[in-house]
Amino acid sequence: MFHTEDMEINMGPQHPSTHGVLRLKLQLDGEQIKDMRPVIGYLHRGVEKLCEHRTYAMIEPLTDRLDYVAAISENLGYCGAVETLMGLQIPPRAQYIRVVLAELQRIASHLLWLGTHALDLGAMTVFFYTFRERELILDLFEAFCGARLTYNSMRIGGLLEDVPRGWFDRVRHFLKIFPGRMQEYEDLLTVNRIFLGRTKGVGLLSAKDAIAYGVSGPPLRASGVNYDVRKALPYSSYDQFEFDVPLGSHGDTYDRYLVRMEELRQSCRIIRQALDRMPDGEVRAKVPKYIKPPAGEVYHVVESPRGEQGFYIVSTGGEMPYRVRFRAPSFVNLQALPVMCQGGLVADVVAVIGSIDIVLGDCDR
Amino acid sequence: MSDEKDAQPTPPPAPPAVALKADPLKEPVPSRAVDLLKERFGDQIAEVTYCAGMPIVRLRKHRIAEIATFLRDHTDLRMDYLSNLTAAHWPKREQPFEVIYHLFSIAVRHRLTLKIDLGEGEEIATVCPVWSTANWHEREVFDLFGIRFSGHPDLTRILMSDEWIGHPLRKDYPLEGKPEDHQQYREVTTAEHVYRYDKAPIRGFGWKKEVEKTGVGRG
Repeated sequence: MFHTEDMEINMGPQHPSTHGVLRLKLQLDGEQIKDMRPVIGYLHRGVEKLCEHRTYAMIEPLTDRLDYVAAISENLGYCGAVETLMGLQIPPRAQYIRVVLAELQRIASHLLWLGTHALDLGAMTVFFYTFRERELILDLFEAFCGARLTYNSMRIGGLLEDVPRGWFDRVRHFLKIFPGRMQEYEDLLTVNRIFLGRTKGVGLLSAKDAIAYGVSGPPLRASGVNYDVRKALPYSSYDQFEFDVPLGSHGDTYDRYLVRMEELRQSCRIIRQALDRMPDGEVRAKVPKYIKPPAGEVYHVVESPRGEQGFYIVSTGGEMPYRVRFRAPSFVNLQALPVMCQGGLVADVVAVIGSIDIVLGDCDR
Repeated sequence: MSDEKDAQPTPPPAPPAVALKADPLKEPVPSRAVDLLKERFGDQIAEVTYCAGMPIVRLRKHRIAEIATFLRDHTDLRMDYLSNLTAAHWPKREQPFEVIYHLFSIAVRHRLTLKIDLGEGEEIATVCPVWSTANWHEREVFDLFGIRFSGHPDLTRILMSDEWIGHPLRKDYPLEGKPEDHQQYREVTTAEHVYRYDKAPIRGFGWKKEVEKTGVGRG
């Protein structure tokens, strides 16, 4: 007699749509996914262990290598955590420049996501468009700190140096041209029938599941949960800016796309406010030469482009931290992937992985 | 303020001023969660401290699942978001391990840290049924610290490979060096295999050698 059998398929760790070394073990019934088991750790470098053997200043370059697509968010979070522990007051100018950098980074990260996500779904043109604009932002970062990917741009207590002359004008120029460029992406995707067919109703995640699985960032907000760290637990003077938190209603891949597109606009809005009200003055607080936070611990969270990025630092009063833990949004969001893919098709896994926007360097640490 | 000004003619003695200087980090913050926990599970609380504006409650380990459910479901607290779960190793303490839970409430927007001390080899109940996100966090703690969570649906290594020897985030685990320099990392038993360190290289780079199977492999 005929009978059917479940098939087990390996996707990754070398697969172009997994955005790194992610391996998925799929249990298939025909085209349908019955079960999925993500296997991670291929990029584990033991950063937390390394941190226990580095001074506080030496750790910042390591944080660059976690979420290498959004290194500035990591720098900001790490410095913020140590500063909270030391009780440092950061000069307002440094805080505002940090906000400008972090929001530019969010735009750059979302542009990379948009390009590759569309590429996964077969829309090639968007990739070239988004990388054109991402290039402009990387040029800005290069002018600011000399690096284009791993910036090491901040210092505990503020910034190493003020921005170079004319830098703000270049940022303003970018803000001027960016809305028109965004319209180009939207024309290509937002009402594109193929894109809608691949994303609408795909990878559903209910608000209840999203919270239970600890999902954060755009995937959480696409499910309709209003939680943005910048609003809920403001850091680096985010409470002084006006911006909206876009929320989705269905929690599908298309909503995650819409939420990120709106975040691009809101980031521009924040940068514009920061430039208009940029305070004068120092960019670095008075910091002792050897950074030795008092004994204690801190759990500091920031909103990285991928979600809630947490930094847990335990100090025993020495010049090296006793324990450092990075709460990686990619790691936690990835855990909800099987829930989103359950009962879907194999081809949709590609769309869903793209929509949660993981970076394996962040996930595996 | 005016009272303080009035009191100024008699200067306060020096020692309290020094103590005040160290305070801001450890200053208590009002927390409804701490109050309710004290009321309901007073016998389970070992210590309440504060650090950088975060209340830290040190609990005894036995009723953690019950306390977690209480925190999540109480209408005033609604700690529905387990932000982070991790551990720390303090080899000199009597109970060398510490499991740490960072909770947040999306609805009420308040935070709380729970800590539980564990002895070497002690198990702790999982909180997976309360917060699904704990699954991978607990796997990671098991992987890097070797703390076992009883009742966990799938307690396997997550970041290191299955045949890895030792738990890297323990303080006695070396940062660098060859495996033969560290005698204690020579043998490990997983659910499926027993692995022993073998000095003869296997196909170029093997310093781990699978010697016997203990059961059916995961595949």
